[in-house]
Amino acid sequence: MTPNGALVFAAIIILATMVSRVSGLLLLAVLSVLFVVIEVGRHATTVLRRALALTIPLALFMIAVWVGVVGRAPEDIAADQPGSRLSALAYVAIVCARLFLIVAITQAGALRFSALTPLQFVKTLRMPLTFKRLAVLTLSLIETLHQAIDRAHTALIASGVITRRLSVRNLLHGWVLVQTVWLTAITSVTGRMRDKWPIENTLNLLDPLLTEQKAPRFDARDKTWIALGAVAATVIVWADVHGAP
Amino acid sequence: MFTTPRLIAIALCAALNFALGSVVFLVKLPIYLDSIGTILCALLIYPDRKAAFVCSFLAAMISTILTTIFINPFLIWFSGTELAIALMAALVIARSDDVFRARPLPVVKFGARVVFYGILTGVAAAVVSAPVVAYVFGGVTGSGSAFLVAFFLKAGEHLMTAVLHSGFTAEPIDKTLQVLLAALLYRATPADFIAMVRAQPVPAPT
Repeated sequence: MTPNGALVFAAIIILATMVSRVSGLLLLAVLSVLFVVIEVGRHATTVLRRALALTIPLALFMIAVWVGVVGRAPEDIAADQPGSRLSALAYVAIVCARLFLIVAITQAGALRFSALTPLQFVKTLRMPLTFKRLAVLTLSLIETLHQAIDRAHTALIASGVITRRLSVRNLLHGWVLVQTVWLTAITSVTGRMRDKWPIENTLNLLDPLLTEQKAPRFDARDKTWIALGAVAATVIVWADVHGAP
Repeated sequence: MFTTPRLIAIALCAALNFALGSVVFLVKLPIYLDSIGTILCALLIYPDRKAAFVCSFLAAMISTILTTIFINPFLIWFSGTELAIALMAALVIARSDDVFRARPLPVVKFGARVVFYGILTGVAAAVVSAPVVAYVFGGVTGSGSAFLVAFFLKAGEHLMTAVLHSGFTAEPIDKTLQVLLAALLYRATPADFIAMVRAQPVPAPT
């Protein structure tokens, strides 16, 4: 499978999830499980763990708000009916099931290509070279900024300007950290643009590395998954029109 | 439109959007700071409004995609909000680039513009993100504003109205802070870097 195919498949599943009711969500769950088991293999439990870790806190928060505080579903409020905590719970369950599927398919897509370096991943994507350059430059600069944050954070704590824990001093002087990081990054980038990159010919050497030679946009597996996703989405829309639960 | 310094500026602002999340975590502040790079990118490129909009939106989208992949898989749903912020930054906020860099600092004028643009951007962001918050997240995104939504729902408001009212209450405060930080970073940016970013591409000799 290629990253292009995984992106298209994930986009179809996510869009279908958003228009699904209960029966549609079950169909998409089956398809997603197949995708995770076949494509992600031994990392399947990691997908499940990450999806649960991201969805459960949100689900608990939603239960607190909808079931605990509001006590009725949005449909009940719209119809101006008293409603019940049970209908609120059912509403939360459907929203959370959608979010869980979205997170799971995103995580599965990310883990499917976890063996690739960011440069290899960007290289295989079908998109204009300018955007590939931007993606690679951004990933590189994130590292630069993270190093700048580490250094500035340690220096400002050592000099007593900010503290390690939540404090009023952080609120007043946290800005100094942001400014220090920004100026460090600007200085570093200006130096690279003026001297380092022209001498090393970095940007021109980057282009051939980002250009995929004679690779097809989608392989046979991509086409199979995309076709399955499209069929599932069509069935869901058809069932929705014909009033499936 | 995409000269090398502009590509660097976009990447730098996208990285800033992404990395400031780490700063917020480090200093334990109850704010987001996820669009400072977007606003700053428009300020850096400004006199060319079209380029300012395209570049700041690109910076926003790159950071949104990276954050979606590595940190928060729900952020991609707020791409429309990023578009609105990029539009506001390029067409409205960047018009005050001279005030933001004026020396000595015109405190009253600077403060008034920051508050005005913050409120304007906050209202725009609230309007654009309300359908996503209501439909995708059922009004609860995990932030403290969910309790505002709950308060308005308890008062009998419909979900969409409650989300909009919550957004109008919380977003202007967050966006004012973001405009303030973007303006201060723009003010601190060396003039030669801004000149490099704003330089038009030289046409090839015929």
